[in-house]
Amino acid sequence: MRLPLAPKNSINWGRNLLNGLITVVSALLCLGLLPVRLPGMELVGIGPDWPLLWVVTWSLRRTPLQGLVGGVVMGWLQDALTNPATGGLWPSHAVGLGLVGWLTARLEKDRLIQEDFISVALIVFAMAVVNETAMALQWSVLGSRPLTAVWTDHQRLALGSAVLSSLWAPIVYLPLSQWWKRQTLA
Amino acid sequence: MVSFGRWWNRHGLQLAVILLVLGTVWLGRPAVAVLLRELYSRLVAPWQARPAVLEQLRDSRVLELEQRVSELQRQNQQLKTLVKYQQSLNLSTTSAPVIGRSPSHWWQQLLLAAGRAQGVGESGVVLAPGGVIGRVMSTTDHTSQVLLITDASSKVGVTLTRSRAMGILQGQGNDQPLLRFFDKDPNARVGDGVVTSTFSTVFPAGLPVGRIVSINWKATPAPEATVELYAPLDQVEWGVIQTYASTPRPEKLDQLGP
Repeated sequence: MRLPLAPKNSINWGRNLLNGLITVVSALLCLGLLPVRLPGMELVGIGPDWPLLWVVTWSLRRTPLQGLVGGVVMGWLQDALTNPATGGLWPSHAVGLGLVGWLTARLEKDRLIQEDFISVALIVFAMAVVNETAMALQWSVLGSRPLTAVWTDHQRLALGSAVLSSLWAPIVYLPLSQWWKRQTLA
Repeated sequence: MVSFGRWWNRHGLQLAVILLVLGTVWLGRPAVAVLLRELYSRLVAPWQARPAVLEQLRDSRVLELEQRVSELQRQNQQLKTLVKYQQSLNLSTTSAPVIGRSPSHWWQQLLLAAGRAQGVGESGVVLAPGGVIGRVMSTTDHTSQVLLITDASSKVGVTLTRSRAMGILQGQGNDQPLLRFFDKDPNARVGDGVVTSTFSTVFPAGLPVGRIVSINWKATPAPEATVELYAPLDQVEWGVIQTYASTPRPEKLDQLGP
């Protein structure tokens, strides 16, 4: 655990509860934004990848294991939103987002790069490509779509998602990271 | 054993918490999805029914009607020659505003603000100004999720209004699906109208879909045509959901979903 924990005898239950609530509500908000397409929020028919933004913000100051778990949880919930009827296991967003969470935490950002939203936007750009590539690989293995179509789609989706998500990254990153930083300092 | 005990003392709680979190989310994710969609439909309700892009919708409507007329004429001709021509078409319809798009980049879906409470059932056919656009995949009380015919997993049996050449319309993930003809030498031209075929098990026959914009005669095993939908999918604001009880047929030419 990289997060400094408060001594056991001084656990502030009210504060922990509030922190948990904000974490859960912010995650649900990011999922709830998925079907929204506002003018300016759309590029070639796709919107920003909100769960990706949440997972990157979550993982930046946490251990790779915590990042992985956060990514898998968000991925499963996005699966449920996309295709609740079949409940099929593959292709799953959990693969890409879990990988994103783990990789982001592995970056050990506070040691390598200055923490500002420009470097976060760069990380989001790279992670959006990782996320879409994980999905394209799953489609390729499954074989339910023609291989050439999958990889032409991948180019369009990865680039669109990367550009839009990195532009919108500060909206999720700034408030959430500020809140979590205050939690660890307090 | 001792080292396992030590490891368990150090990491047991952490492991238990992780398993608990993953287990809860795994079991609860359909419920969370239902909850989110219901909440979402309530939240966006005040912003619905914008009178935008009416012009284009009207153009599409004219195209649809032209298509319908030519299709009806054709059908009428056939009816005169056929003795027993029957099609069970249940005409209970519900119209609903579009409140959302695909929650993932790899799928082509719409979210409509009508669900089980409005009598919408799964496998309902969804029409928009311009023609058929998709099929209901799942419903909650006040929302229904539509898989568009442009989704890569969508396959619809279609026929050309002019020559009755048949084929399968398959989504490609963009707004122009691909028509794969059955015939090696189909009677097709650029501009031909495409309607759902009588062999389709999930869609009623004769619904306008779109028109051919280009044909690749060199494709194997049979020529392929790119089809432009009459309905402008990125601007569709309302959908009409038609319940349709498909009649079982020996030929299963089309399917939707995996």
